[in-house]
Amino acid sequence: MKQYILEAKNISKTFGNVKALENVNFYLRKGKIHGLLGENGAGKSSLMNILSGIYQPEKGSIFINNVKQKSLDPESASELGIGMVHQEFRLIESFSIEDNLTLSKSNIYQNNFKEAYEKYSEIFSLSVKPEKTISQLSVGEKQKIEIMKLIFKDSKIMLLDEPTAVLTPQETDQLRISLGTLSEEDEKTIVLISHKLKEIREFTEKVFVMKNGKMVAEELSTKDVTDDNLIELMMGNIQKSIIDKSNTAGDTKLSIKSLEYVDKVNNFKILDNINLEIKAGEIIGIAGVSGNGQVELANIISGIEVDYSGKILINNKDVSRRGVRSRKKLNLSYIPENRLGVGLAPGVSVLDNSIVRDYFKTRLGPHLSRSKTENYLESLINKFSIKAPNSKAEISTLSGGNMQKLLMGRELISNPEVIIASQPTRGLDVNAVEAIHNLLVEQRDKGSAILMISEDLDELFKLSNRIHVMFEGKIVKSFNIDDADINNVGLAMAGIVE
Amino acid sequence: MNNLKLFKRQTVNELSTFYSFLIGFIIAIFIGSIILLIQDKSPIDTFSLMLRLSVGSINSLSASLNKAIPLILAGLGISIINSVKLWNIGAEGQIFLGAIAVNFIYINTQINSPSIHIFVLLVAGFVGGSLCILIPAITKVVFGVNEIITTLLTNYIVFGVTIFLINGPWKDPKSLNFPAAAYVGEEVFLPTIIGKLSFGFLICILFTILAHYLKNKSVFGFEMRIAGGSAMTAVYAGINAKQKAFIAMLIGGGFAGLAGAIELLSQTHRVSTGISQGFGYTAIIVAAITGMRPLGIFLVGSLFGALSIGGSVIQTIGVSAYIADIIQASTLFGALIIQFFFTYQIKKVEND
Ligand SMILES: Nc1ncnc2c1ncn2[C@@H]1O[C@H](COP(=O)(O)OP(=O)(O)OP(=O)(O)O)[C@@H](O)[C@H]1O
Ligand SMILES: [Mg+2]
Repeated sequence: MKQYILEAKNISKTFGNVKALENVNFYLRKGKIHGLLGENGAGKSSLMNILSGIYQPEKGSIFINNVKQKSLDPESASELGIGMVHQEFRLIESFSIEDNLTLSKSNIYQNNFKEAYEKYSEIFSLSVKPEKTISQLSVGEKQKIEIMKLIFKDSKIMLLDEPTAVLTPQETDQLRISLGTLSEEDEKTIVLISHKLKEIREFTEKVFVMKNGKMVAEELSTKDVTDDNLIELMMGNIQKSIIDKSNTAGDTKLSIKSLEYVDKVNNFKILDNINLEIKAGEIIGIAGVSGNGQVELANIISGIEVDYSGKILINNKDVSRRGVRSRKKLNLSYIPENRLGVGLAPGVSVLDNSIVRDYFKTRLGPHLSRSKTENYLESLINKFSIKAPNSKAEISTLSGGNMQKLLMGRELISNPEVIIASQPTRGLDVNAVEAIHNLLVEQRDKGSAILMISEDLDELFKLSNRIHVMFEGKIVKSFNIDDADINNVGLAMAGIVE
Repeated sequence: MNNLKLFKRQTVNELSTFYSFLIGFIIAIFIGSIILLIQDKSPIDTFSLMLRLSVGSINSLSASLNKAIPLILAGLGISIINSVKLWNIGAEGQIFLGAIAVNFIYINTQINSPSIHIFVLLVAGFVGGSLCILIPAITKVVFGVNEIITTLLTNYIVFGVTIFLINGPWKDPKSLNFPAAAYVGEEVFLPTIIGKLSFGFLICILFTILAHYLKNKSVFGFEMRIAGGSAMTAVYAGINAKQKAFIAMLIGGGFAGLAGAIELLSQTHRVSTGISQGFGYTAIIVAAITGMRPLGIFLVGSLFGALSIGGSVIQTIGVSAYIADIIQASTLFGALIIQFFFTYQIKKVEND
């Protein structure tokens, strides 16, 4: 009994008719790092939300330091030392780092902020001044501030919901070291949710696995389980496909010539002389640490960013000066890396979000047919096995994986000739990743030309016919998949090319 | 010890807006009754009199519906603008500028066919309302200036312009000391359909359907929702979010301007400060209570029209007409409070 700092027993929670959690048990040991694995929609975030008092369970009890908690709300959970980093950022963008860190009323570094900030920015290898506003920070830096926020409000139990999903491999590695330090020196109890087995293996000591709202494995010792064990627990079945690359390429569908994009404010070249060509039936991978111009490249090809020099041709048609719509009419699809906020509009229904790409094709003059759009959504839901409560539900009630499936499905269902897919599987579970990979390959075989931007090297090697490595706005090295090896690609990503 | 704490509900009943309104209205009647009791008046007598004199006969019913026209039209305009998540506090000014535009065109044109003349004047009213919101619309989409403040400010400016016109260039010498413009000729009065019910009510029904269609069934409505949801998604989808916001504002302003035109052509027949009795502000209440739904605005607007007719007639038995205003405002308060309970949940928390 004594050994657990937190114990949750028989927790159940339903949303409408979705059983998000069913008799779930969860135990945390003081000063240890615990992994929580599970497919998209397994109930991981729901469980964390219950422990941090945001959701109320219908059933079950929670003990903290062996004291039964009658009812937790965000305030009392925080007083008991439970803090959570959500899947999406919850920082106040227009405030400074210092303000964000000291905002909580349980802030313990009121008087010695400077020293505390210095100490922890060293632990997190963060090198920005606390006066900087959040909106100026990179995604990785924001994530560090989110975690640091928990330290400043004295959370002893830190629940981290997919913190590495937005991080580059290097940043993830840094985070591993930082969390290790926190658990050893400050005796922080940590929960890490991740879809990447490698991270669970490297970060954690104990691992829990969830599937369909149930806890299917409790407190396994990480070093004693194999990857195959974990995948089997999560999925029930393992399917790892070897992708056939003997497909033949057709005509050139997308070509990019001497593309240059300058940040006018800082007079800094974000993209420098990019030349690319993609043929029908080909997947071209763009490797690189995030922040080396990939987002800008995707935005320029899709027509969102217009202030650039160079040429873009779709099907040999010069579209350099054309907008988003005429590029879509030439059958280009774009799956942006920022799912909620760019690809999908928050606060708007699932139905509206499902027709964002094709509504101007199916419209009848000014009329938007309700039955046609409902049918369209239904075909997406069936074809891409999306789980959604109902068509009027707000989009953010879907789980991360289901949102991505909706977005992917919407962009792929009309058989596009050119596809730009940016981080298509970020934050998804193994099954969903597999499904999305299959979709991309299926599209490739139908003759689509695909540009895939990814930080996941396994994914790039698995799917691409060619890999280009971007570093500081340039394509520094290109590999045919047969001649590529992970080491050389990794070196090129760090800017080392001999 | 027991404590009460708030929790956000995960699911909100779809009909919650309707229930909130209903309960809010009951609360408002209750508050009204207390005020009447304090004044030693019988609530039952007063309310049954109000009911009889606002909907009891063809004449009273048509008076009520006539009053509802500006509330409904301005409310619809507000709801269209809210599709892009913007607020129009300037319906009052738009109503006045609509009426001013009607008078301006009336004075400066010569049209022989009365029906074409009326049509032109109604269009002028719509355009006048759009013009009134033009500057807030431009400052919003070009500089990002908060539209709540700018639309509110235009009310004061337009009211000033109205006072200037009816005391200066447009002052009717025949009206002696009362500041008002000259009456328009009878040939442009809006006809009545049944009893005193103005033809404007048919226009109102038509525009309710139009607004419902625009918001819920049209491509433009969809584009407005996406633009209101996320500006980045709009850019990504090739939707010009600023253009949608601009157009929505002009259309919404036009709806209120049309209300001013109908008010002039069917009720006051001249420009005076009496063109609107705060319709543009009450319309905000109407739109907010219904959660910006056009069909709801039509129903609640009609009810509020009846309430204010009822309010003005009970003055004859010595009860202040403000009782109607109190009920309207309390309905919104009541509805907002009830909506709060549909969104949140209060739970007892035991502390040991
Ligand atoms: N607020 C909510 N309203 C309705 N349903 C919800 C809500 N939150 C979660 N759900 C549903 O509960 C189930 C579990 O969702 P949860 O977000 O906990 O999954 P997850 O394991 O975190 O998935 P992911 O890896 O995709 O983030 C899903 O089916 C989801 O759609
Ligand atoms: Mg989650």
